[in-house]
Amino acid sequence: MNTNHQGGLALMRATWLSWMQHRSFFFILAFGWMMQPLIFMFVWATAAGDQTVGGLTRGEIVAYYLTLILVNQITYSQTNWTVGDLIRGGDMNRLLLLPMSPLYNTLAAELAGKVVYLTFVLPITVGLALLLKPEFNLTAVSLIAFLPALLLAWLLRFLWGYALALLAFWAARADALLAVQDALVFLLAGQAAPMLLLPPLLRTLAVILPFRYMVGFPAEVLTGQLDAAQLAFGFAMQIGWLAVTVLLYQLMWRRGVRQYTAVGG
Amino acid sequence: MNNAHIEVQNLSKTYRVPQRQSGLGAALRSLARREYTEVTAVSHLSFAIQPGEMVGFIGPNGAGKTTTLKMLAGLLHPSGGTAVVAGYTPWERRPEYLRRISMVLGNKSQMLWDIPPLDTFHVLGEIYGITPTDLQQTVEELTAVLDMGDLLTKPVRNLSLGERMKCELVAALLHRPSVLFLDEPTLGLDVSMQRRLRQFIADTNRRTGATMILTSHYMADVAELCPRVVLIHQGRLLYDGLLGQLSDQLAPFKLIRLALDRANGEGEWRHRLPEGTAVLDPDPANLTLRVPRRETSAITAYLLNTLPVVDLSVENPPLEAVIDQIYQEAAV
Repeated sequence: MNTNHQGGLALMRATWLSWMQHRSFFFILAFGWMMQPLIFMFVWATAAGDQTVGGLTRGEIVAYYLTLILVNQITYSQTNWTVGDLIRGGDMNRLLLLPMSPLYNTLAAELAGKVVYLTFVLPITVGLALLLKPEFNLTAVSLIAFLPALLLAWLLRFLWGYALALLAFWAARADALLAVQDALVFLLAGQAAPMLLLPPLLRTLAVILPFRYMVGFPAEVLTGQLDAAQLAFGFAMQIGWLAVTVLLYQLMWRRGVRQYTAVGG
Repeated sequence: MNNAHIEVQNLSKTYRVPQRQSGLGAALRSLARREYTEVTAVSHLSFAIQPGEMVGFIGPNGAGKTTTLKMLAGLLHPSGGTAVVAGYTPWERRPEYLRRISMVLGNKSQMLWDIPPLDTFHVLGEIYGITPTDLQQTVEELTAVLDMGDLLTKPVRNLSLGERMKCELVAALLHRPSVLFLDEPTLGLDVSMQRRLRQFIADTNRRTGATMILTSHYMADVAELCPRVVLIHQGRLLYDGLLGQLSDQLAPFKLIRLALDRANGEGEWRHRLPEGTAVLDPDPANLTLRVPRRETSAITAYLLNTLPVVDLSVENPPLEAVIDQIYQEAAV
């Protein structure tokens, strides 16, 4: 890969500047992404009532879902949807001319976007927390472990999505796979229901496949749903899947660029 | 030709294009089995370009000019053949190579849309690792020449096409490339802007000694900028040499201009023209005929003998007419 952090950083600053001009667009996007977890939070919180569901009280479910909303916002890689357009529309040409991997361009957009829409999501989540009275059982371990879990989750979700998006080098409408990816994340990454509430078969799938490690895992870490062994296992899976994804990305990129037809002027 | 800056041998590119009839049935069938046709965009192209040379690629739409440029700029992998540019194989896409070249695409922008050009220049400065002092100096130099001081702080999306093209050229030159690929740099610009940019490109070539390849459909661009042209047609090289000699070699006809004596039966000239002669301008004071190149001298002698000729000259047809003729015929 053509590493050029200096250039990437400059690109990120510039992208951020240009995106700040479309703040409201990002706010609306972010609002849309919050809806699903919010709905499922109310479903499960209502189901719990004054008792517990799967060992979780109403307050714990609210805490879990509020964390999930934040984790989902931070890890969701909306820019991967535009990678296919870059390739199909021929805009990849100008990125390929620069002495810098085009991955930086997507990464810059990704980070710039996050800064913009977190200014919207953070206050709303805090507001919801004040209203809905979540029960956080925070410990030193869960607090310390949360940050690396979150970082790995984002890296995994971003790079996995990017590698899938590179399929556009071969197939014109490869982003259908990104939609499948979103559906799997919804089902298996703790959005439709926390891991603890999944039926055994789905839970096994969730533990093995990469999707839980993109969203659900950091939320489980912060809300203290995991014991030490589960925590260690989760990190091992995150790192393992990330390694697989890096290889997948490299393979897709090398093959894809050879295949590229550089359409349009 | 060991000192050539760009050396291309047998370069070929074949695209696989999915083939499908229109309609739903065909769409469904193509899901199960795709049919491809092979399209040859470039076929066994060979040429060498010396350092500092400025070469024009000409040819009709779809001739393979842009495909060739894209291979040389490392955007495309060829299907066959070799190319060495400034000592590198372009499609290996080494950062050291990409730092030495630049490409201006007339219909694709390098500028970031929502922010002023100056900001894009700074980003490019960081990407190419240009020191702030160097960058500032280069920007000041180039923007002064192009007279664009007040454009630098407006968002790019508010600029006119001509203003944006100035920015594209500055952006392409910031890192002082030694090889510059210009693909239709004057596309869609008005005549005076075209002239302006042409002048700038010529100056840049003289000042920096960069090797340049230019494609353009405006013959004025090529005629003014490029002493040497490479004519590509249907992916093959038809001509490589001086622009001035292109008509000599490729035009199958010449123009004869004559003025007839008005007092002496000018009205009958039409009946006395030999076969194979086309009348381009019927005004007897400036009668212009197109005649087959091989028969030029015979026809000239015949005209002098049979018509009341006051003045006669034989010329090569204008370049545009030659090119048009070549483009229309499948092969020369």
